[in-house]
Amino acid sequence: MDVNRKMSRRGFVALTGAASLSALLAACGGGGGEAAEPAAPAEPAEPAEPAPAEPAPAEPAPAESPPAETGEAASPALAEGPTFDPASEPDGPVTFFEWAGYDDTAPWMWKTYTSGEYAKSSPLKFEFLENDIQALAKVASGYSPDVIHPCIAYWPDFQAAGLIQPWDKALLPDYEGIPEAIRGPGVSDDGLIYHVPFDIGFSSLVYRADKIPITPEEESWSLLLDPAYEGKLATYSDPVTIIKIGALINAGEPIDPNKLDSDQIAAAKETMIKAKPQIRNFWSGNQDNINDFINGNVWATYMWPDGYLQALRHEKLQGVDVRYMWPKEGRLAWVCGFVLHANTERPGRATLAIAAANTPQAAASLTDVFAYGSAQQAGVTDLIKDKELISIFSLDDPSAFAPPRAWFEQPLPNRQEYSEAGEAVKAA
Amino acid sequence: MATEATAAAPAVPGEGGRRSRRVQDALATYGLTAPALALLLVFFLFPIYYIVRYSLGLEHFAVTEAAAEITGEFTQLTTQLWSEFLTVGVDVQILGKDNVSFHLPTWAIGIIFVALVVGAVAGRRLSERWGGWIQGGSIVLLLVPFMTIPAGNNLLRFAELSSGGDFLRLFFRSVTMATTSAIWAVIIAFPIAYFLAFGIKKSKYTWLLIVIAPFLTSYLLRIFAWKIILGDQGLINSALFELGLRDPDNPLSFLIYSQFTVILVLLYAWVPFIVLPIFIALESIDRRLLEAATDLGASRLKALAKVTLPIAAPGIIAAFLFVFIPSIGEYITPSLVGGNNGYMFGQAIASQFVGGALDWQTGSVLSVFLLGVVLFLTLATSKFLRQGGGATS
Repeated sequence: MDVNRKMSRRGFVALTGAASLSALLAACGGGGGEAAEPAAPAEPAEPAEPAPAEPAPAEPAPAESPPAETGEAASPALAEGPTFDPASEPDGPVTFFEWAGYDDTAPWMWKTYTSGEYAKSSPLKFEFLENDIQALAKVASGYSPDVIHPCIAYWPDFQAAGLIQPWDKALLPDYEGIPEAIRGPGVSDDGLIYHVPFDIGFSSLVYRADKIPITPEEESWSLLLDPAYEGKLATYSDPVTIIKIGALINAGEPIDPNKLDSDQIAAAKETMIKAKPQIRNFWSGNQDNINDFINGNVWATYMWPDGYLQALRHEKLQGVDVRYMWPKEGRLAWVCGFVLHANTERPGRATLAIAAANTPQAAASLTDVFAYGSAQQAGVTDLIKDKELISIFSLDDPSAFAPPRAWFEQPLPNRQEYSEAGEAVKAA
Repeated sequence: MATEATAAAPAVPGEGGRRSRRVQDALATYGLTAPALALLLVFFLFPIYYIVRYSLGLEHFAVTEAAAEITGEFTQLTTQLWSEFLTVGVDVQILGKDNVSFHLPTWAIGIIFVALVVGAVAGRRLSERWGGWIQGGSIVLLLVPFMTIPAGNNLLRFAELSSGGDFLRLFFRSVTMATTSAIWAVIIAFPIAYFLAFGIKKSKYTWLLIVIAPFLTSYLLRIFAWKIILGDQGLINSALFELGLRDPDNPLSFLIYSQFTVILVLLYAWVPFIVLPIFIALESIDRRLLEAATDLGASRLKALAKVTLPIAAPGIIAAFLFVFIPSIGEYITPSLVGGNNGYMFGQAIASQFVGGALDWQTGSVLSVFLLGVVLFLTLATSKFLRQGGGATS
């Protein structure tokens, strides 16, 4: 298994979050009554204009188009998507602003493109991003790659700043294989596809049951407050995540951490400051964090699926009961995917490239290589070679990715408030 | 232009010759320093100029107004962030006396700080009679708060900064950590340099090379090596477990992810570097002075205190600044080994730019502030850096 080697290259992966998408997933999984309430459309990034039967612009004009609403708001005015013609585009590379690990060291991801007709004339070029915020900041300040790979919470920011344009659905044959619940939040309320999801996964605490003797029923984010584990826990340095965890601890039951008001954010901040004696490190490097867990520097830490898998299979931890916590408040979860830069000269070829990443075969390899879930789900579980991963990460159980069991990330209208509070926790 | 003029007008032989000589000298001087000046301009003044403008909202990178909102940039002149930062300050509370507390705004701290540094550096010139007291008192007052306030639970704390200005608190913490590493680095490097300068007769420079040898590997690699040594199951703790000195369930946990770790790693990183300036200062001491001291009845210790140390002072102060200046804005070391307790000012700045906070303007204000403090300290101590200046009395 070369997960370990590959993962270390991955560095940072996704920010966390939760969301409207999870609500829809719940609906898919037959979640019943509870699913109905969170299924309401997510808060728009800015107060959205009322969407009457006004004809949407025929030409995509990202800078002026109304702020995106995520979720499936019933909007009667569906805009005509753009049409790209790869053959008429000038030769030259298609540039990606991409997470390390998804570049040409992952040829399985780009196979149908690199064996296609534009492989030579428009080769794929990769620059690495560190996190969503950094990607957003760089692109906002003038860096213009053709394709960027942010998590779903961030595409409305790109769009509001006029930095991205919609995709041409006709060039994405496998798009329908992505469940509506996952791809929906990437679509604007006038029906334009801005964000094509690629990878999904959980974020939760991984702990060693030999040091932290709790039963699965007792699992809770409030472990971070337990003074018995002073200096023995760690969590992710992303300030938004810090606040979401604090809010889940305060609630003590599943609540949507994407919909916090100012009071809840302030209370979450206080709670996380109280958790600081237990928190040895606010980690920023994924692999450093995994190593700290494996080497016993921390007994429980916030991890993505890759970290859990590494810990589970690491020789140093054989015989240790390592568990991926399913807190009673619910796990956090993320979805990341591709957005298309507004100024790209090669939108068609860029679309062909991400179409390659969207094939079921690439999706299955994503799970085999990185242990992440894939947005693409059409027949993917059959293609996954390492069947154990399917059960470890509940990849075949839609309810696992829906409230109240998991909170997908979602665009946050008041993200700056989350961030400032989270930074204050670290600086306190 | 000047060369053409001088070449064309040697009308009065003597006058012209002298002038052309002067021009030649000037050209040589400026020509030779031009690359250094250009470098200074491009890599130092130019970025600083921009970051200052940036912190005032005169400059922004965002491509559109909407994008500026995302990066937290102002698109017009504003002093808002500066005035916020300068008034926020800290609440100081005397330990054990809950009712005795007062608010110190940033600008007041700044004035006190400048006054103390001036007193410490130039106290002796201020008054014939009290100069020594002013100088000594200033140095003590400068060091004591920085060394004791944020130093943690184990040291004497007579006051604590209770709330307000998170950034300022982080700044104090960073200054403490930088000062501690710089002082210890000098204390450790001095005997090494002394040994190299006076103890070794043959192949001094081979020894010097051996001291500097750790620099042949990457800094990151060395930090990771420290993590292996200091971890809860690391070399030191494993050895303690083996020897039965420590229970495996209860390792020495301050070794990793603490201020101690950051200070230790910084120390380790800088000691070989600063052996060099101290060594050079010691090498340049005229040995006859030491002999004279001995002949006049001074013990070796007295000779060290009265002759060697004063003459070597510029090298020692340079060494101190070599460690202090880069440490105060440190980012990578605390990120890797500092953990929650070792979080430093430099990390807070970085977080404003590429971390979660995304507020470039605040980041710029913090950077300019840091730069101002460092520049001031460098200027204030620069007279010690000149050979002999301030060292002899």
